[in-house]
Amino acid sequence: MNAIFGIILVITMTLMLFVSPEEVLSAFISGGEKALALAVQMTVVYAVWLGVLNVFEKTGLSGKCAKILKPANKFLFGTLPEKANDYVSLNISANMLGMSGATTPMGIKAVREMEKYKGTEYAIAMFFVINATSVQLIPSSVLALRIKFGASAASDIILPTILATLLSSVIGVLLVKLFIKKKS
Amino acid sequence: MQYLIPLFFIFIFVFAFIKKVKPYDTFTDGVKSAVPFAVSIFPYLVSIFVLTELFEKSGLSSLISDFLSPVFGFLGIPKELTKLVLIKPFSGSGSLATLSDIFTEYGAESYLARSACVIYGSSETVFYVASVYFAGAKTKNLFKPIVISLFASFCSCVFACFICKIM
Repeated sequence: MNAIFGIILVITMTLMLFVSPEEVLSAFISGGEKALALAVQMTVVYAVWLGVLNVFEKTGLSGKCAKILKPANKFLFGTLPEKANDYVSLNISANMLGMSGATTPMGIKAVREMEKYKGTEYAIAMFFVINATSVQLIPSSVLALRIKFGASAASDIILPTILATLLSSVIGVLLVKLFIKKKS
Repeated sequence: MQYLIPLFFIFIFVFAFIKKVKPYDTFTDGVKSAVPFAVSIFPYLVSIFVLTELFEKSGLSSLISDFLSPVFGFLGIPKELTKLVLIKPFSGSGSLATLSDIFTEYGAESYLARSACVIYGSSETVFYVASVYFAGAKTKNLFKPIVISLFASFCSCVFACFICKIM
């Protein structure tokens, strides 16, 4: 991340030096403003989801949901500590259902939980790739936008999207299995 | 689809009653962690947004776009969609705006719009996920996972343009 960040920053700022040097600082600041706006909005969304999901967890339902996904998780991640397995399962189920407000807090919790143990680098990499290649089954935001723009058969993109998203996840999972070593 | 979330919420709270979990206390307790959460990811959000902003404003995004268009075209990605493919790994809001532009320009029913939808729906904001999920995490070496994710997402973009031609 450091390398990517540094390289892009230097290239872009050098480019701007020739075209619009006065905009460098303002780009930094407007980036920060956007981040703050998003953070405020997300605090509220997270608050709601963390509240609901805490009830979900305390009723023991998340454990049940994790149990159902356990074979799949085992295939993907190897053996996970119980709590990490719960968060990973919640994150992936929320992802599939398109509950985007719930995926991020569960994703962060899952990563933090996995990091407590040794030999989970592989599982963490796999978890990241699965999240980063998207496993959402129903692209709800796209559908809403298409309806707004007056597409008559807005849902005709659902099947191609599912196929494309499956393809990217399968490629991602295979590459992780090929290129990242499983320790422990 | 719109019933999914309300039903899910009702189910949880009804189940809480059965299991004698205190709904008010438990909900509030969960909410408590939201602010520390947001605070811990804020610095990473700033970095990723600064990056996105510079990427767009410097013209690097359109430079790369022009440069890659022929390559993308060779793989079947129309040049009108190059920008979307490039911006998607960085920013959700940026790519949603690009998607709207494509709708406005070419109509929501066009081949371009449909391919754009599939591209948008089948890939994720890779850099955003990397920065937020790993906010304050010990894992630093994400190079391989990022490259793998970008490659896999790119494959799905190529596939998206192909499948929208035949479906």
